[in-house]
Amino acid sequence: MFRLLGALLAFAVLARIPVGFDVGFKFDAALAVIWAFGLLSLVLLTGYVGQISLCQATFAGVGAYTAGMMVSSFHVDYLVAVVAGVVAAAALGVVVGLPALRLRGITLAIVTLGIALVFDRYVFQDHAFEWFTGGTGGWRVSQATMFGLQMDSSAHLMAAYLVLLGLFCVVAVLLVNLHESGAGRRFRAIRDSELAAATMGVDLTRYKLLAFGMSAAIAGLGGSFYPLVAGSVSPQPFWLFTSLQFAAIAVLMGVRYVPAAALGGAFMAFVPDVLTRYGHGAFMGHAYEISYDWFQVAVGVLLIVQLIALPDGVWGDLRRRFRHAWSSVGMVGGRRVKVA
Amino acid sequence: MTMLRVRDLTVRFGGIVALDGVSLDLNRGEILGLIGPNGAGKTTLFNCISGVIRPDHGSIYFEDQSLTYAPPHERARLGVARTFQNLQLWGSMTVEENLIVPMDALGRRNTFSDTLYLPFSGYAERASQERARAILHVLDLDRYARTAAGDLPAGIQRRVEIARALAMRPRLLLLDEPAAGLDAKETARLAGLLHAVRQRFHVSMLLVDHDMSLVMRVCDYVYVLDFGRMLAKGQPSEIRNNPKVIAAYLGEESKNQGGDIHAVAQARNEEPPLLEVKKLAAGYGGLEVIRDVDLEVWPGEVVACIGANGAGKTTTLRAISGMIHARAGHVMFAGQDVTGSTAEHISKLGLVHIPEGRGLFPTMSVEDTLRLVSNTAGQEVDVTPAFQLFPRLRERRRQLVGTLSGGEQQMVALARAILSRPRLVMIDEMSQGLAPTVVRQLFEIIRVFREQGIAVLLVEQFVESALDVADRAYVFEHGTIGLSGPAVELRGDRKLVAGSYLGSAVDATAIATNRNGNGHRPDPALMEIVSVRVPARVKRALELRAETEGRPAGAVVVELLEKVDHQ
Amino acid sequence: MATFAAYTVIGLSLGGIFSLAALGIVLIYRTTGVLNFAHGAMGMFSTFVAWQVFYGWSHPFWPGWFSTFLAVVAGLIFAAAMGLLLELSVFRWVRGREPVVKAVITIGILLALQSAASLIWHNNQYHLPIYILPQQWVLSVADVPIGANSLVIIGAALGLAFGLGAFLRYTGFGRAMRAVSDSPTSASLWGVPVGRVGAVSWMLGSLVAALAGILITPFINFDTTSLTLLIIDALAAALIGGLVSLPLTVLGGFVLGLLETYPTIWIQSIGFPRLVALIVILAVLVVRNPRGFSVAAK
Repeated sequence: MFRLLGALLAFAVLARIPVGFDVGFKFDAALAVIWAFGLLSLVLLTGYVGQISLCQATFAGVGAYTAGMMVSSFHVDYLVAVVAGVVAAAALGVVVGLPALRLRGITLAIVTLGIALVFDRYVFQDHAFEWFTGGTGGWRVSQATMFGLQMDSSAHLMAAYLVLLGLFCVVAVLLVNLHESGAGRRFRAIRDSELAAATMGVDLTRYKLLAFGMSAAIAGLGGSFYPLVAGSVSPQPFWLFTSLQFAAIAVLMGVRYVPAAALGGAFMAFVPDVLTRYGHGAFMGHAYEISYDWFQVAVGVLLIVQLIALPDGVWGDLRRRFRHAWSSVGMVGGRRVKVA
Repeated sequence: MTMLRVRDLTVRFGGIVALDGVSLDLNRGEILGLIGPNGAGKTTLFNCISGVIRPDHGSIYFEDQSLTYAPPHERARLGVARTFQNLQLWGSMTVEENLIVPMDALGRRNTFSDTLYLPFSGYAERASQERARAILHVLDLDRYARTAAGDLPAGIQRRVEIARALAMRPRLLLLDEPAAGLDAKETARLAGLLHAVRQRFHVSMLLVDHDMSLVMRVCDYVYVLDFGRMLAKGQPSEIRNNPKVIAAYLGEESKNQGGDIHAVAQARNEEPPLLEVKKLAAGYGGLEVIRDVDLEVWPGEVVACIGANGAGKTTTLRAISGMIHARAGHVMFAGQDVTGSTAEHISKLGLVHIPEGRGLFPTMSVEDTLRLVSNTAGQEVDVTPAFQLFPRLRERRRQLVGTLSGGEQQMVALARAILSRPRLVMIDEMSQGLAPTVVRQLFEIIRVFREQGIAVLLVEQFVESALDVADRAYVFEHGTIGLSGPAVELRGDRKLVAGSYLGSAVDATAIATNRNGNGHRPDPALMEIVSVRVPARVKRALELRAETEGRPAGAVVVELLEKVDHQ
Repeated sequence: MATFAAYTVIGLSLGGIFSLAALGIVLIYRTTGVLNFAHGAMGMFSTFVAWQVFYGWSHPFWPGWFSTFLAVVAGLIFAAAMGLLLELSVFRWVRGREPVVKAVITIGILLALQSAASLIWHNNQYHLPIYILPQQWVLSVADVPIGANSLVIIGAALGLAFGLGAFLRYTGFGRAMRAVSDSPTSASLWGVPVGRVGAVSWMLGSLVAALAGILITPFINFDTTSLTLLIIDALAAALIGGLVSLPLTVLGGFVLGLLETYPTIWIQSIGFPRLVALIVILAVLVVRNPRGFSVAAK
């Protein structure tokens, strides 16, 4: 299967990249994959099933806090912590999916926005949930072990990155498989016409809850590695604005395409850091300094422009141009696969 | 034997009663037709049967199983499939995939094994693909198997919808306006297709459509709905000649209102036409509803557009006024080319469109609505002339338009039209939902327009009244103009006009010999043809016989069986 | 009992802000079909402009009331200009698209405005509030202290609600706006300038959001994020009004303000009020859900 080969190739190439760079870069690389998981969750939920959600970072955050809690309070192997994180995120996903059974479009967006805000400001920050969040400082994860090996975050960032990358490739391949499979078709049917799907035998309840659960699990999988990579968990990486950024960047890159998620993740992690590191100096006599905020302004503006001009996203547009050129050479015809 | 049993179904939306105690029976092997004017409740009935809407009262039994609490996908599992009036295909998937989804959904597929591409999934996938190919072959869609459904033309998409419904292996197929947007030739092909489908797939069907030629050709039995109630039922030929049905569609046979037709016709040869429409084509989404429409309106004329529902009258008006985009052709108004202009611009030029549903604002008062005209004209417009013309409105000036009766709302719309001093007023279905007395009053207003020199383009279901007041008329058929001419001529040939509503004259012979598409001639007295394929017709005939003779059906059966024994 | 009354005053003040913000959201939504997620962010930005004028550019010799007045006017003018700019440069091009797309565009606007404000005025910094009336002015009604600024808010919310209502009911343009809000297609058939109505709606909506932002500064953490995040509460109030009825929206705002404030008598938590807002949203949506399959009712 081409997919498997493609994934292996991508892994081999991407795995080599951070070698030789400093710790900061390696951190970014690992973070990029974590964010890519978040974007991937949107590809499934919004791209494949057509359900809008503005709380994906919340699911990642739940994964992160659960993993942190498991390691700090219960001293388990990190693998167990990850599994716990995924399960917790998936459970929340199913709960969030319940309103989705009766709401669509804008009203669903409002509800998920509300959930993101409540978790951001209340659950992740309030005394009442300290058992979960580890208090104002969050969990500190410096003594984690995975497979019996000591994983000290600073020294083993590369290892964490490789594990994350490997998992991402696996999940990506699974998602592409899903897209082509019977279940994927049923998801896409819900996206294209819920009414027809229901009257043609698709159990909407089951599939929508499944979609939310799976999507949350994916975001949670990325999130549960966050404590390992960053050494601690705090509310800030998983606040409302990250969820909004997920939505914005997913749409920007192309919400239906798996590679767009990878692209977006890299975009989210690397671009701001590169900008802040190298984006200062003097221009026409004035000192300037590019910060993270510049990045977010750019994202907002790009999103607006893209929605007006390029509805299919950057990846979608590239893909279309590529295909157009490719088929005019006369070599490839055949099936339309709108996945990768 | 009775596959679908609907009893006393009632559905209310807010204050409106969409269905009022409707009962219906569908027998195995039948193609049942459901017809009725716009707003009669046909789609609501469909939605109830397929589970999209829950009724307020009543019951639905399918094969003796109650459907009241079953969600839509459960009903699909039981064997009820449907197509949609506005085509709900899954556009991003190929035609083949569109068919496989219902197959999968009704089989037992497993998301887990699908994701991991386990061998079981692969096997099931191939089996589904083969079955899909088989269905596509019967419907002559093989070459589109791998095309994205969203890329196909509307006529093909309709067939794909039917194919998708068949992929479910249904026992009952609900068809919601399958002929919408099809021209005469395509409709004939559809009729043949439906017969073939019944034979090959052993499916019973419930068909809703406005196209009488299709209904007459295809249906074994017909129910007629009007205002949410069952108006009549019977064989297609009987229905066609049923006076109540004809009245519901065409309007009351009105006394000739007298030859009030001024010699406006003479003036027109010197002036250029006020409105000129050439080769207009338009539609919605992938559907092309009108094509090659040519019409003209001279200043001061009253022109009527008549024809069956779905024939394209409303779409034509919308394309002229700018509500929808024209896909081809030109519209010239007062010497200017207004094709593609915005509705705002066109209305400012003096072309006013009163759409179906009157185009009013429910939360504004009568007075506010009329004063709205001032805004668009730019100066303050005196609203008193409107109140002089419609004294009823003066009493109700502060009442919210949404709470007015249908007739009063129409008065508001007409009043606004007069106040804005247009050159041409287009009125769509002025009499819709109104009692005949009110309709007569409103038609008088049309004469006021004429007196003021305002031209009128009138779309009407009530043929009689429209032809009474018009100078000329255009008869729409299948998305284009069929007949046209002076109103006096058309009015005389009522049969011709009735034909365009209840099936064209071409079908008259077929219907006269009382045959349906299968060519079977029912003869209840002899019951010779007790074939497996037409027990439904036999049952209907029995019921009819029993009803007319006032005896229980069982007694009739016994008597006839004795007759057969002694043959 | 006195505590209860005091909390009521606070709740009503907060509710007044919600009403103001929600009014703007409903106005824009009804006339343009855009659910403006960036409403809070727009209000925040204009408020910061006012703040800049007051604390940054005011001359120390000017009397306090003059600076305040100037600041408020500057903020409002900026808000109107921003609203107009948005309609002309962004929303004019997407009029025909579906509501979800338009809403996602507002998310882009939210992100851009949020970060731009952060750049200019530096996030995580404590900003001094703008007091319309001096902080010390306190009215004492039956032993309950009512801050002058609270009265200003409540007065402004009610006043604006009535003002807007009167404008819509009695003026020509107001009639045009109501027509577009009832039915944009019919309105264009009547020759009502739908584009112009949309532009004015955006300007008005932005103005009202700016007013809400300026008035609330004495009551909350005045930084770039908290004002933006008031969007949830505003949306909750707007949903209580069904995104249609202005009077219900205003009522909903006040009710929500009270509902969010009373629990703080017992529960000390920054985030808990947001939970209240979410519960209200869910409750309203469940209650208002159409009978039967939600898809068919659309």
